[in-house]
Amino acid sequence: MTATTVRRRSTAPSIAPAPKPNRRLWVSKGHAIAAGLLTLAFVSPIYFTIVNAFKTQDQIIRDPSAPPAPPTTQNLTDALGRADRIIQVGLANSAVTVLVSVLLIIPLGAALSFWLTRRSARFRRIVLAGFAAGLMIPPAVVLLPTIRILTFLQLDHTYAGLILANVGGGYLSFAVFVYSGFLRAVPSELVEAAAIDGAGLLRTWWTIVMPLLRPATATVAIFLSLWIWNDFMNPQFILGPLRGQTITTGLYVSLGQYTTNYAQLFGVMFLAAVIPVAGYLALQKQFVAGLTTGATK
Amino acid sequence: MTTRARPWRGDTALGAIAVLGIGLYIVFIIVPLIMSAWKSLTDENPLLAHSDFIGLANYQDMAHDDALISSLGFTLVMAAVVTVAANAAGIGFAMLLNRTSLSFRMMRTVAFLPQVLSGVIVGFVWRYILAQDGILNAVLVSTGLSSRPITWLGSPLLARFSVGLVAAWVLTGFTTVVHLAALQSIPVEMYQAATVDGAGRWQQFRRITLPMLAPGTTIGVTLSLITMLKLYDIIVALTSGGPANSTESTALYIIKLAFTDDRFGYASAVAMLLLAVSAVIALSVTGLLRRREVDL
Repeated sequence: MTATTVRRRSTAPSIAPAPKPNRRLWVSKGHAIAAGLLTLAFVSPIYFTIVNAFKTQDQIIRDPSAPPAPPTTQNLTDALGRADRIIQVGLANSAVTVLVSVLLIIPLGAALSFWLTRRSARFRRIVLAGFAAGLMIPPAVVLLPTIRILTFLQLDHTYAGLILANVGGGYLSFAVFVYSGFLRAVPSELVEAAAIDGAGLLRTWWTIVMPLLRPATATVAIFLSLWIWNDFMNPQFILGPLRGQTITTGLYVSLGQYTTNYAQLFGVMFLAAVIPVAGYLALQKQFVAGLTTGATK
Repeated sequence: MTTRARPWRGDTALGAIAVLGIGLYIVFIIVPLIMSAWKSLTDENPLLAHSDFIGLANYQDMAHDDALISSLGFTLVMAAVVTVAANAAGIGFAMLLNRTSLSFRMMRTVAFLPQVLSGVIVGFVWRYILAQDGILNAVLVSTGLSSRPITWLGSPLLARFSVGLVAAWVLTGFTTVVHLAALQSIPVEMYQAATVDGAGRWQQFRRITLPMLAPGTTIGVTLSLITMLKLYDIIVALTSGGPANSTESTALYIIKLAFTDDRFGYASAVAMLLLAVSAVIALSVTGLLRRREVDL
């Protein structure tokens, strides 16, 4: 509970009466140290994953928290050298699933949201309420009938089926939700002006509305890519073990085999985590912008 | 003006895309819900040649199903406890990290990382940390905080605590970021005015910070609840629902009923129950939080 006391003592230092500048400096330093220590403790599981991916089994057992000295890339080459090529196959399958799903959801969600703004307020409210429900339905509730429908369409245990279930499911709800929120801020005069200029609705959507919605598209693309990439239940049951693995199901299968071989375990986990983490670090501004549009109003 | 009345060229093309989107949503969300509701009134089992309509028998069975009651209790308690813990931790962490220097910006960046990892990775990393010979026990024993290793995942009570801890860890990444954004939108003048009026630190937190964080809290609480009510992947990787089914969430139980026990009818009935519980909780809590925002 030291963190709480330090924090409270040092909130809003610029306003605090601060009798002596010297004391203020110490409080500020204490604050920084507390923040640093807490952050380190918070992300330590990720630290363990990274350092242990580059250590031998002996090094891990001797001290799991020590940095890799000397580092080894043996775990990574072992993971990539598996006979079933589960990492390479999983990464490729996940990449295709994510890419196709997101490329379908974005135009569908954006066009649908824009079309709704041209409908009566009552109709729009009903449709949006229906989509809002999709955000809170636990996927386990609809999984079994979804597989039935895909079987009926002869798409069960296929990537097409997995992608279709992604596109039609709760992810579309998220896209509609984000786009509809952004469209509320688009002045209708812009759209009307395009109409006077003789542009059709489809063209207006594509050439005028879509560029205005770019921040929304960034949010939708980033979060859906992350969620579909990390999805476990849908690939586990819609695809099934016989149709290859995505990175999450492949990880689950291969990690089950390494219950005691920690070096292998961390090597596989590192390779599976590196792409979403790198993507986040590269796009963190857009990540935070997408997260916080609703948090600040 | 005639422009408004004139039907737009391309209206049908855009309408077609929109209707396709709505159609897909109906096929993969609305129809499955109706199918689940219907199947819940049957004794369907893929091993049987045909299934019969059995009315509400599945729903009556649920009352005597100890595994269901235990899983639902676990899910609801986890949802409540973890939502409160993750949002309280998020508010605290956000206040601690609310500085603009480079090192604080870096800390903020890494604070979100748990949210980026898949539940499978999170579950496995923590399984290693919480194992009998894992890192946490090594730290606790070497610092003398515990005389012998603790079986974090070995006993029902501790395993439940561990699942909650890991879920809270993941969600705190999210709640920290949304509360940080909300914190930065609070005008400094408010605190200055409060100081002039003689308000203490606690009063400032209670009367300014906490209410002004409301939009962030709404999102943080809503997402935490939704995540907890559907929790599946973290548990599968961390405990597989054990020991002795003590960490089996209702989502896990539905999957087991459907895919291991082949009890499609009963699984559908439990799915309906989870849906109803989720709907009631989500609607009432978001309604409550929105009203709190409006009251400001």
